[in-house]
Amino acid sequence: MRYALCALRIIKSMDKHLIFYIMFFPTVIFFFWGMGLHIGMWLEGNLKGAENAAKWEKFKIYIRRGWRGFWARPGWYIKILITEVIFHRKLFGQSFFRWLAHTLLVFGFVATFVVDMIKGFTTGYLVELSHSIPFFSFSREFETGAIRPFLDFFLEFFSFLILVGCVMALVRRLVIRPDQLLTEEEDMTTLLFILFLELSGFFIEGYRIAHYEVVQAHNYLANFTPASANNWISFGGYFLSQFLRDIKINANFLWYFHVVPSLIWFVYIPHSKLLHIFTSSMTVISDRQKELVK
Amino acid sequence: MNYLQMKLSALSPKQLVEIEACTRCGECLKYCPVYAQRDEEEIDPRGKIQAFKSFIRSQYGLWAKIFGPKKLDEEKLKKFSEMVYRCTLCGECSVSCPVSIDAKHLWTALRETLVEMGHFPEAAKRMKANILQTHNVSGDENEERVEWLEFLNELPDHQYQKEKAEVAFFVGCVASFFPLVQKIPLAFVEILNKAEVDFTLLGGEEWCCGFPLIGAGMKKEAEVLIQHNLEMVKEKGVKRVVFACPSCYHTWMEEYKTDIEIFHSTQFIKKLIDGGKIAFKEKKIKVTYHDPCDLGRASGVYEAPREILHAIPGVELVEMAENREQCKCCGGGGNLEMVDPELSAALAQEKINQIQATGADTVITACQQCVRTILTTARRKEIPINAMDITEFVLKNMA
Repeated sequence: MRYALCALRIIKSMDKHLIFYIMFFPTVIFFFWGMGLHIGMWLEGNLKGAENAAKWEKFKIYIRRGWRGFWARPGWYIKILITEVIFHRKLFGQSFFRWLAHTLLVFGFVATFVVDMIKGFTTGYLVELSHSIPFFSFSREFETGAIRPFLDFFLEFFSFLILVGCVMALVRRLVIRPDQLLTEEEDMTTLLFILFLELSGFFIEGYRIAHYEVVQAHNYLANFTPASANNWISFGGYFLSQFLRDIKINANFLWYFHVVPSLIWFVYIPHSKLLHIFTSSMTVISDRQKELVK
Repeated sequence: MNYLQMKLSALSPKQLVEIEACTRCGECLKYCPVYAQRDEEEIDPRGKIQAFKSFIRSQYGLWAKIFGPKKLDEEKLKKFSEMVYRCTLCGECSVSCPVSIDAKHLWTALRETLVEMGHFPEAAKRMKANILQTHNVSGDENEERVEWLEFLNELPDHQYQKEKAEVAFFVGCVASFFPLVQKIPLAFVEILNKAEVDFTLLGGEEWCCGFPLIGAGMKKEAEVLIQHNLEMVKEKGVKRVVFACPSCYHTWMEEYKTDIEIFHSTQFIKKLIDGGKIAFKEKKIKVTYHDPCDLGRASGVYEAPREILHAIPGVELVEMAENREQCKCCGGGGNLEMVDPELSAALAQEKINQIQATGADTVITACQQCVRTILTTARRKEIPINAMDITEFVLKNMA
């Protein structure tokens, strides 16, 4: 017990950047290990023309083929990635409802990831660098300048799309229940996980807006991303903030409440149906490549 | 035999990715003709992939990496084998799959894996023995391949087995040996004759194309047949090979590495019509067209047969509710008849119902196996239905 309390005290005194990276790096390692297990299994298969090659050799062959293939027709591959993978054209013809739910989830995740990366990179690193390298001073626009409201709005908007897509998928599984649909524990775990991540994200944003003192104290992720002006730019968070002004929650707890499940979710991907994010993209692209052969 | 490890060498890395790309959405269930009859989760494409995935996981998954691979359950393997072989390989699941899993090729690869493990039907063993011994699927003497020629009114001295020719007509085992469909090669030979095509048959030197073996998961055994047929065709100096059998045509397209041009009879007849070699008299008739799986979905030939039917004056073509890519299998594919004749007949019955729903006088198809399956079931159940191959229909209506 004494050790646990001691550990807790150390963690509390640590910078959130540091804690995040202490958790993030093992997460990335576990994620790639999980992916590696699958890739290793796929490479057990028989690759025509390289039947006796070792797995690593086969892997290199695929990487080479993929690289050359992509650069032979980059436009075509980008088009296929957008129309067939992200916007899943084939599904559109089969079920509009399913297509909409899926597209909101996929597009929402891709777009959120991109905006989050831009926001994290500029406000987290470039701003820091700008103190020693003036060239990077433009990054302050991303932190407190004119660009910041756009980042906030799009993060909020794309996260909202994910939330809507997730709710639609739950409605399809629990209410509409098409005949062919088989809802397993794994499906519910995945959807509830996404729902939790989204709701907790909005909740934190709301709490941050409602409690400016948390931002000032550089608590949880606040030092990454100080809150915007309290307006409807962060519409979801702002809406929730109206109900959170009189509620006090430990800010550290809130941070872990969102970040830890997010990292667990990342590790969970290779061991769940979510693996299809990668596998289905490959099968769809591979199928469309037949066009090129013709 | 060591069952501890399931070898994955019969599958390509792409197919192993496909196994993991299946999200079990069940879109394929809406289209699988076998599932429509049996309503068993294990028999549908999703169920088969799920079962195979569980085998893979027990051997190569996370727990297997930590605690070692599990011994495969013999009973589960047996059940899995029964399910994998109860499939017509119609490929409709591939068309409907939202993530475009090439399921048809996946099923044959799974069958190859099962063959490697010794879990395949007895009937497939007998078929393999027949083919490797007699070089045809029926087990008859291969010299009897062209006995149907006796039914021709006039037979030239060369008996259509010339030393050299421009075109080779590859007849296929079913049309050669099953009396019910021997009218098809007879009709096609007459068409070629009337159109003055310089063609030859391979006669007793024509061996099974390998399709039944490939479909049963015995691809390696088919290699000897492929090499032989290629040699025979080259020996005759032919420039084009024509097939009335879509399965032979598709097998040649996919497995035979050759520069020789290959045509299905419908494509060839269409060329003859376009070249003014074939003309038709008027015929008032309402017909429907059944797309054979290996010609339509597998080879992408949908329009040539329809264009032929449209070229015959007076013919009214009414489509079935499900046509082209969505056309339902007649039950004659994938060696299903050999493994489960009742299931095959149930599929044929469903097909007959669809044909009758069109109100057509005759169903035209472009496959001897489809004609045989539909007619056999119709006769057994005493259903009055006219089914014929497009070659017969063309010959009947030639001017």
